[in-house]
Amino acid sequence: MQVLWNGLVEALRLLAGGDSDLLQITLRSLWVSGLALLVAVVVGVPLGGLLALRHFRGRRFAVAAVNTGMAAPPVVVGLLVALFLTRSGPFGDLALLYTNWAMVMAQVVIALPIVIGLSLAALQQLEEGFRQQIEALGAGRFQAFLLQLREIRVALLATVMAAFGAVISEVGAVMMVGGNIRGQTQVLTGAIVQETRIGRFASAIALAIVLMVLAFGTNLALTFIQQHGRRRA
Amino acid sequence: MSASAASDRPVLEARDLRVARDGRVLAAADDLRLAGGRVHVLLGANGAGKSTLLRALNGLEPAEGELSFDGRRVVTAADRLALRRRTAAVFQKAHLLGTTVAGNVESGLRLRGVRRQVARRRAAAALELLEIAHLAHRRPANLSGGEAQRVSIARALAVDPEVLFFDEPMSSLDPPTREALTRDLSAIFSRSQMAVVWVTHDRDEALAVADVVSFLEDGRVVQSGRAADVFAHPATTSFAAFLGLDAYLVGTIVNGSDGMTRLVMPGGLELMCGEAADGPAVACLPPEDVVLFTRPPAAHSASLRNLLPGRVREVRPSGRLLLVTVAAAGMEVAALVTRAAFDDLGLAVGGEVIAAFKASAVHPIPRHERRLAGPDGGRT
Repeated sequence: MQVLWNGLVEALRLLAGGDSDLLQITLRSLWVSGLALLVAVVVGVPLGGLLALRHFRGRRFAVAAVNTGMAAPPVVVGLLVALFLTRSGPFGDLALLYTNWAMVMAQVVIALPIVIGLSLAALQQLEEGFRQQIEALGAGRFQAFLLQLREIRVALLATVMAAFGAVISEVGAVMMVGGNIRGQTQVLTGAIVQETRIGRFASAIALAIVLMVLAFGTNLALTFIQQHGRRRA
Repeated sequence: MSASAASDRPVLEARDLRVARDGRVLAAADDLRLAGGRVHVLLGANGAGKSTLLRALNGLEPAEGELSFDGRRVVTAADRLALRRRTAAVFQKAHLLGTTVAGNVESGLRLRGVRRQVARRRAAAALELLEIAHLAHRRPANLSGGEAQRVSIARALAVDPEVLFFDEPMSSLDPPTREALTRDLSAIFSRSQMAVVWVTHDRDEALAVADVVSFLEDGRVVQSGRAADVFAHPATTSFAAFLGLDAYLVGTIVNGSDGMTRLVMPGGLELMCGEAADGPAVACLPPEDVVLFTRPPAAHSASLRNLLPGRVREVRPSGRLLLVTVAAAGMEVAALVTRAAFDDLGLAVGGEVIAAFKASAVHPIPRHERRLAGPDGGRT
């Protein structure tokens, strides 16, 4: 119990003092996960729209693949990305393994099925008659898609938050493809693992507090926006 | 209804237009012309293909055949979008966007590239027109069904459409709301040059708004014409049944030298009827045109040329009236009477009664249009 208490006090001291390592790791985490999220949303939402609104051969298989992808274990994703980026792999020449870019790529692979799957489900909740009404209002194909996204904006926000939660708290894939190199590719989750392993509990607790604040903050913002959206709907 | 603003130049024309899926024709119109200033009702039972035809006419659904808007053929998806941008549609559900009422009414204009300031001004005018300006800042979740539908109609009118498509816009509203909205719309249409296509399965609604009626059955337009003519002379027995004229009289039309047309029944009974060519025929008799007496009517009722003595077989409610079925001369004739008249006459099932009706109340249906089974098919 004493260990926990001392750790907590030391952690608060680190946080209050603006420890430079802690700040650097936090910013790196936000950068990697933020960029991965951005890519996943920019690519995933239109793909979700494609699967929700268009009928084509192989659509069912694609939807099944997305749903499976949503439950893919991060370590498996890490393994796959590592196989692609390793020196003898197809993209080995790019020398991306153990860089921040590799971690972004792994997190994109983790976030993408979540973004596609949840935006697909939200778009399918809209009635066919609603889509017909939008077209009758004179919307072109792209305008109609944007209007539908506006209708599902609360669900889209939930999608973004869910994907962010998944990547910011993920540890297996980033450690496998980033290497958890201190000062270079170490993010919050990897740092917590390492600090715990070497017995620096205060530092680990401080990192955990930051991670929890990010995760809780995300959920809190989501809840607030959802309830606000419900009142205005 | 809106003859003052009517123009004969068709805005939208359909020739041999058909929507088919898996080899089955869902909706077809051989020759349909929509003129400005007129309300064209597409009437028919559920599943008759009315809404599918409306979607094809509005460019929401690709169709085979020829569709022309303002003299130009509508062929490609771009043509259909161009058509939709000069027309508007209101559906059974209001389908409002998740923004304010004002934002909804502006939306059609904004999608068509109208500047925000102009859109705002035109939306305000449309809200005034539908008498819902006070709802401008409300959100759809806080509107009643009638208010939401008014917003949807205001949104459609705001774009100043050349053709306005209505797909059963009243069917989810309660009767007083429906009547008020129908009255307001009739006034708006009478001042407008736009063509209106109004889909409904409600014959009373059709009667209230239509200038032109097309009746659809099994996906096809089976009769089209001026509303008054179409309702007075249904061309098929199924349309007659749809209009509530389900008492068919089967016999032979004979045009006499006295200038009168008679329907001679198999038992020899002769009924004076509306004009028709000689030969076997089925005729229908609207129950609202049949008057019941317990004694032969007085001389002032001489225009009631057909008098059929019989007995009351069945009495059942029909809205606020009673539908009385009379068995007379081997056939059945139905009459709509008020409850007060029923009581005054002292009618009862089995009691003697005289069914009287004018010659013009008996509408012969051309033989080639009959849909009943067999050469002499029909109910008498």
